[in-house]
Amino acid sequence: MAISSDSNQEKQLPGTNDQRKVSRRDFLKTSTLAGCGALAASQLDFARGIIARVEAGEITSFEAYQLMQAENTLYTVCLNCNTGCGIKVKIMDGVAVKVDGNPYNPWTLHPHIPMKEAVAKAAKIDGAICPKGQAGHQGAYDPYRIRQVLKRAGKRGEGKWRSIPFDQAVDEIVNGGLLFADIPGEEKRRVAGLKELYVLKDPKIYEEMGSDVAKIRKKKMTVAEFKTRHAANLHLLIDPDHPDFGPRNNQFVYWWGRKKGGRADFAKRFTEQFATVNTHGHTTVCQGSLYFACKAMSEQYAGESFRDGQKFYWQPDTENSEYILFVGSNLFDANYGPPNRSPRLTQRLVDGKVKITVLDPRFSKLAAKANRWVPVRPGTDAAFAMGMTRWILEQKKFDAKYLENANKAAAAADRESTWSNGAWLVKLDKEGKPGAFLRASELGLKARELRKDKEGNDFDFEYLVAFKEGKPVPFDPNDEKEAVEGELLVSTELKDKEGKPVRVKSGLQVMLDTAREKSIAEYAAICGIDPKVIEETAREFTSYGKKAAVDVHRGPAQHTNGFYNIASLMNLNLLVGNFDWTGGMIAASTYNTDGTKTEKQPFNFKKITPKAPKAFGLSIIRHDAKYEESTIFEPAGYPAKRNWWPLSSDVYQEILPSMADAYPYPVKVVFSYMGAPSYSLPAGQTMIEALVNLERIPLYFASDITIGTTTMYADYLFPDLHYLERWEMQGSHPNMPVKVQPVRQPVIASPNEVVTVYGEQQPISYETLWLALAEKLGLKGFGAHGFAEGQPLTRPDDFYVRMVANVATDGKEPVPDADPLEVESFLNARRHLPKNVFDQERWQRIAGPNWKKVIYLLNRGGRFDTQENSYKGDQVANKYGKLINLYQEKTYKVKDAFTGKNYFGLARYVPIADTLDRAPVELSRGYDLHLITQRDILMTKSRTISHQYLTSLMPENAIIINSVDARRLGLKEGDKVKVVSATNPAGVWDLKNGTSKPMVGKVKVTETIRPGVITFTLGHGHWATGAADVIIDGSLIKGDPRRAGGVHANAAMWIDPHLKNTCMIDKVGGSVSFYDTKVKLLKV
Amino acid sequence: MEKDILVRMQEDLERALTKPAENRRWVMLLDTRKCTSCKACSVACASENKLPPNLWYRPVFEREDGKYPKPTRTALPKPCMQCDNPPCVTACPVKGADGATWKETRGIGTGVVPVNYAKCIGCAKCVPACPYSARTMDNGRFHTEGTPQLMKYETMPSFEYGRNWPRQGKHQPVGNVRKCHFCMHRLANGMLPQCVTSCVCRMGYFGDANDPESLLAQVIKANQTKIQILKKEKGTKPRVYYLGNINLEVFHGYF
Repeated sequence: MAISSDSNQEKQLPGTNDQRKVSRRDFLKTSTLAGCGALAASQLDFARGIIARVEAGEITSFEAYQLMQAENTLYTVCLNCNTGCGIKVKIMDGVAVKVDGNPYNPWTLHPHIPMKEAVAKAAKIDGAICPKGQAGHQGAYDPYRIRQVLKRAGKRGEGKWRSIPFDQAVDEIVNGGLLFADIPGEEKRRVAGLKELYVLKDPKIYEEMGSDVAKIRKKKMTVAEFKTRHAANLHLLIDPDHPDFGPRNNQFVYWWGRKKGGRADFAKRFTEQFATVNTHGHTTVCQGSLYFACKAMSEQYAGESFRDGQKFYWQPDTENSEYILFVGSNLFDANYGPPNRSPRLTQRLVDGKVKITVLDPRFSKLAAKANRWVPVRPGTDAAFAMGMTRWILEQKKFDAKYLENANKAAAAADRESTWSNGAWLVKLDKEGKPGAFLRASELGLKARELRKDKEGNDFDFEYLVAFKEGKPVPFDPNDEKEAVEGELLVSTELKDKEGKPVRVKSGLQVMLDTAREKSIAEYAAICGIDPKVIEETAREFTSYGKKAAVDVHRGPAQHTNGFYNIASLMNLNLLVGNFDWTGGMIAASTYNTDGTKTEKQPFNFKKITPKAPKAFGLSIIRHDAKYEESTIFEPAGYPAKRNWWPLSSDVYQEILPSMADAYPYPVKVVFSYMGAPSYSLPAGQTMIEALVNLERIPLYFASDITIGTTTMYADYLFPDLHYLERWEMQGSHPNMPVKVQPVRQPVIASPNEVVTVYGEQQPISYETLWLALAEKLGLKGFGAHGFAEGQPLTRPDDFYVRMVANVATDGKEPVPDADPLEVESFLNARRHLPKNVFDQERWQRIAGPNWKKVIYLLNRGGRFDTQENSYKGDQVANKYGKLINLYQEKTYKVKDAFTGKNYFGLARYVPIADTLDRAPVELSRGYDLHLITQRDILMTKSRTISHQYLTSLMPENAIIINSVDARRLGLKEGDKVKVVSATNPAGVWDLKNGTSKPMVGKVKVTETIRPGVITFTLGHGHWATGAADVIIDGSLIKGDPRRAGGVHANAAMWIDPHLKNTCMIDKVGGSVSFYDTKVKLLKV
Repeated sequence: MEKDILVRMQEDLERALTKPAENRRWVMLLDTRKCTSCKACSVACASENKLPPNLWYRPVFEREDGKYPKPTRTALPKPCMQCDNPPCVTACPVKGADGATWKETRGIGTGVVPVNYAKCIGCAKCVPACPYSARTMDNGRFHTEGTPQLMKYETMPSFEYGRNWPRQGKHQPVGNVRKCHFCMHRLANGMLPQCVTSCVCRMGYFGDANDPESLLAQVIKANQTKIQILKKEKGTKPRVYYLGNINLEVFHGYF
């Protein structure tokens, strides 16, 4: 059955009829206490009540067994939101019946219990997780889960499906053909399969073509020259006149939503062998500009320019901060996340040990506990930050000692592990606008040098310049020996080596001058608040030394000016020099999974992965690429048709629309995993428009656990495992000072159909699909000798057990071996899992000599360092430890693809604008309410609507509006309203299948939001995921009306007037604009 | 650093279990100043006790007060008060310690007001008698009713009062009254009530108020003058105490 249609009640379970009363001896034999001679007093005491009752003949063995629970408990990691709390899942009769927090994992207990605590003791300690996590098993036991492969039996999105054999689906996707001949209108539509795209396989040709394309980009080779050199292989390219598009392999596009480590590595193994450049994540729908602004701040100076920036961000060391300025961040509903951050804050707040100020248009749950709430207008965060910056710089309340350090050696002398470029000299152009950093060789001060890198290759090194005692001083920012400090506020003219004047300013001077673009009163007016608040906040923020921090999240990021909002706020942290200090800004640190960290790790994935060809060519979202360097720059020129993204990647809102535009080239096969862009993106209806375009998206297959809001438009839908049924390496989040690697592992069996791939029986999953495609295509690195001769990769555990062994052996010391009691416990706890999920012999063979370490780790749900090891005196143990850019040269060097102008290299206030830098005046005319969104802790976007514990607490959401606006508009509590905007005046979701869903919700009147602003919580207003009727194999499966409640107003969010088929965007950081749209409410 | 209060309270519980039952006094304290209205407690309890739709042992109420730009938000989780003077027991026709509901004086549940599903006749007289609306009739429904398939996690027996209670047949919860019981089955196992153990912001305290070493007793002592009791005028003598930034009687109309 593809979805079960059996509505009979479940029969009574066996075991409950076991009325035999158990004796004390029997009880001790079957419990985990058995065989354990020296019991800790507390364990005995825990058991005392049970034993007494057993002796009194009060309880049966089933009941006693339930109470003891240690062997019924499996540890894994939640994924009902991306916080990824460690969970312990209690199993009865093979069914997950209860989910609680894993006490070994610092997300749910603070401090967590160390790994060396016995598993039997941990079984009795439940950590605290949020309601979504508590309801998690309802997602696994969702009656609307798909269990077999579905192929559409009607038009895309029509809701008609046929279950087909897995092998047939794989065959069709690989071979292509007249796959939809049975569908009216598609009888003659031939689609290319993956085989037709998997054309370029020779690594040598890749290397040669790739490096020649790089030459074309740098104008060192012409297209004509390229075509001559590669005449024999031009047919392998997407378009020989545009070699920078790359080979036809690139016409396979893979994108994903919520994917973590492990699964990411698994997919990469395939996509790198297939050699497509088109693998894209969803980052920009979440907080893309936060990531990419911090990436820009983390670019390192390497020789002549900046590179190696990390896609990450920082958050405060919550448990030690004494002052936190939260901006658009609400750790009591969302962020990353309530269970790990709340215990580090709530008691300290009540005791007055930490003060917090919350900048948010909403009086969020966090604002409700704050010392100060500042109700700023949405999108004005940079104005507040620049006002604070101006005050801090003019009042000289910054950490001068920190900012004066120009390089590593100077920082180290002050016990700082990070340093900024505030003291570096920046060149000004003719108009006095800041450009690149001054190089010492330009002054004739110190010549460029030839150096050797770690691999022994030559590279050029240019010294930078600081100003000290009236003189320019050359320096190397990474120099560990010669400390260089520079003056902070420098504005002067130097002479270059030809005697020509060079105007320069220090980075901090540029910052001050930028901040002075407006007065504090003007900044406050932009924010819609009292200027005194900016000054008071700046004063407070600079009164706690390094134990003050600015915590930012989606709020400032998801606007068209997101990049600069974030940069201006993060720069405040630089002004107090708090990075790597206890109570300051910290970054995540994790144990390594791919075995490349230390020699002791048994499975170096680099070594057991066949060398893949070096994929080249523009991606469909044009990331990591400059428009000016492409072969389509001329003759088109500015403005470009769509944006180019030299500083960002994973630009979710560009994937489908770019394919719809065939810009820069058409694609042929599309695969999506655990993603719902039609629901999650602003103006998500534009995604639906793209999805139903058969010409531009000829073949679309997807991996999902239900028929979702996006996957309903797929041609083929493959069932996946729920997070309780599978593997993953969850990783960490910036606010966690403890080094961790939480491991997701199967704790229950899956209902999915079992199929055979590479001769191995396994339930259909995301991995099974990749394996089957690899098998059909004959990809290297998979199959009986996938890892090495005689070392198969034919099922998921081949991959993940190896990773667990790597995690267990990373670091200075590996984890200990599990003792015999633990081994027994490990095996007993998995007795309900079928062999195609857990096979002791197989796992043991894979793990090899590290088997007992693998067991030790899996018994604890991952690897977690201790609380004590996470701090070293007044600093954190896991340091970021590098240069942090206050002024961003790399950002400056990028040209706006629409205007041809350089981006500004420093944080500043930038107003909301469309892609052509036009203020949305026309779009706003007549629309008086500013729409934002929020999370409620009960819901994430797509996965929680199936959880009845959650929907019964929150059957629908509401349009939340201030009483002032409600009165003005004549709206009362409970009134039904439709949300409309200039780009969606009809106020509907056009589902492009003959139906539409109006954006109608009930009004909730409140004082907890700034007047003029309205909001709604995400997670309701669904039109799939079990909400709608579907037909499978001719049978009607009725939807559950409980899943259709509430409103999802994303379709009202502005479509960019120039791009026309996606939402408004942040051109620099990539974020989608969630919070800039003006709407109207029409009474229904 | 200091232990997580969940661990501290579990150790306090362990110690309490070594005392004779009659010397213990189970009390719960809820500090609404810390409550973030996450409702993890409501869901954890529902999951632990396999509650059917629309039956909550521990609902959370929330309200806002004041006017923009100075509003306030307060949340109030409300378990059963386990009153020392329980009006529900008075209302119940099946009287006595071997009846349908009583104030327990023996064993692990001393201080709790349990329900014996085998003795309850489903008359529902206790429901309106409770000033806190802590008792609810079990309507026999399922969360996955009306979907393609009923699911085992909720059709399996629930585990309360130390035994299994199937959802079919006689002498079980369906048709009878249900209520919070301070998770007696967990207390017996040396584990905190589910709502306390699942409290993300750590606003819930539980323990033996007669033990001065317990965290619960110490928090009560430190906040003696601020302790609030819901509907104090009813004379029910609850075992659940509250702390708050506002007078919590504004919630009295909510239940």
